[in-house]
Amino acid sequence: MEYVDYYKILGLDNKATQADIKKAYRKLARKHHPDLNPNDAEAEKRFKQINEANEVLSDPEKRKKYDQYGKDWQHADEFEKARQSRNSSGGYSTGGGFNEGYADSDFSDFFESMFGGNRGGAGGFRSSGRSVKFRGQDFNASLEIDMKDAFKTHKQTLTVNGKNIRITIPAGIEDGQTIKISGHGGPGANGGPNGDLFITFSIRNTTHFKREGANLYKDVEVPLTTAVLGGSLTTETFDSKVKLTIKPHTQQDTQVKLKGKGFPVYKRDGSFGDLFITYKIKMPQHLTAEQKHLFEELRKANL
Amino acid sequence: MTTSYNIKVSTFCNSHGIATSLLDSLVEYELVHIRVIESEPYLAQEELPKVEKLIRLHQDMGINPEGIQAIDHLLNRVIDLQKEVHNLKSRLNRYDS
Repeated sequence: MEYVDYYKILGLDNKATQADIKKAYRKLARKHHPDLNPNDAEAEKRFKQINEANEVLSDPEKRKKYDQYGKDWQHADEFEKARQSRNSSGGYSTGGGFNEGYADSDFSDFFESMFGGNRGGAGGFRSSGRSVKFRGQDFNASLEIDMKDAFKTHKQTLTVNGKNIRITIPAGIEDGQTIKISGHGGPGANGGPNGDLFITFSIRNTTHFKREGANLYKDVEVPLTTAVLGGSLTTETFDSKVKLTIKPHTQQDTQVKLKGKGFPVYKRDGSFGDLFITYKIKMPQHLTAEQKHLFEELRKANL
Repeated sequence: MTTSYNIKVSTFCNSHGIATSLLDSLVEYELVHIRVIESEPYLAQEELPKVEKLIRLHQDMGINPEGIQAIDHLLNRVIDLQKEVHNLKSRLNRYDS
């Protein structure tokens, strides 16, 4: 656990007046407010730090304690005591790749060690001064899945703040796509509805296919003689195999479309994108004496 | 999906500690939609996250309804641009080996 320099976060020194603190806080909080920085986890993190710094420095009692023990917090018995008794925070966890989102309720370990887990009375940007909240807080989280798993609709169990929820991930989900799980965010206050859980997917691709929406792209090597004379070869689609007919005189980078052999279209059962295959003609790197002789004959024939 | 207008505007304003005039302004600027059922205005539950965000802009940062309208417009553009960047990155990825 690292010491947090709250003055540095607000760009102040320890002689700053309450007015200086308020001014610096307002300026920085406006800049990094999560509502003004959509989908920016870094701004969310920075905003939390700013809020925390303000929480401490704008409260004379907390500031005094911080100024007195801040850097030596590890040696102060009372802080140790607070640390041992502090509750472990919630957060998300699961078997694979589910990362904690950026819900905005948590404080740094340093803060909780010094002041416990509860917020004081100082005015934060969010929710302070408002004793009743109608709707629970939304949670954001990210989940990494393999492209092979994204090919089929499947269910996955996640643990969110100690509760197991089973979600269905529809086939064809895209990298960066967010789905909403209604009612699995923070609890609502005063009988209000719970917030929602937003999961943003990150698709890990370890295949030979490139994906753009529901279309897949793949390069296929074609032997020189097959490209010149025509023929056939077998290649893999995402979930099966297909026989390709190569026309005579096929040129380098010729692209063919295999209709319906691409990725599933999101939430459209039985509908698939296309697979685009680009032919890469394989030039021989070594010729036997006989092959070389045949090529010499071809040269004589002006090929 | 049908929109369910099931939250009384007066209840919402009370619980958030805001004057109904603020919500009226947001409705006037077409940032929020309400439906009047038996003389009582209602908000749609689906719209709550957006309404709450607009109110935070007002309460947390002291932005007036005109400013909120401008910010909402710009934020929508930011989100559209983020989507476009993501799509372009995804297309670019096709050409990376």
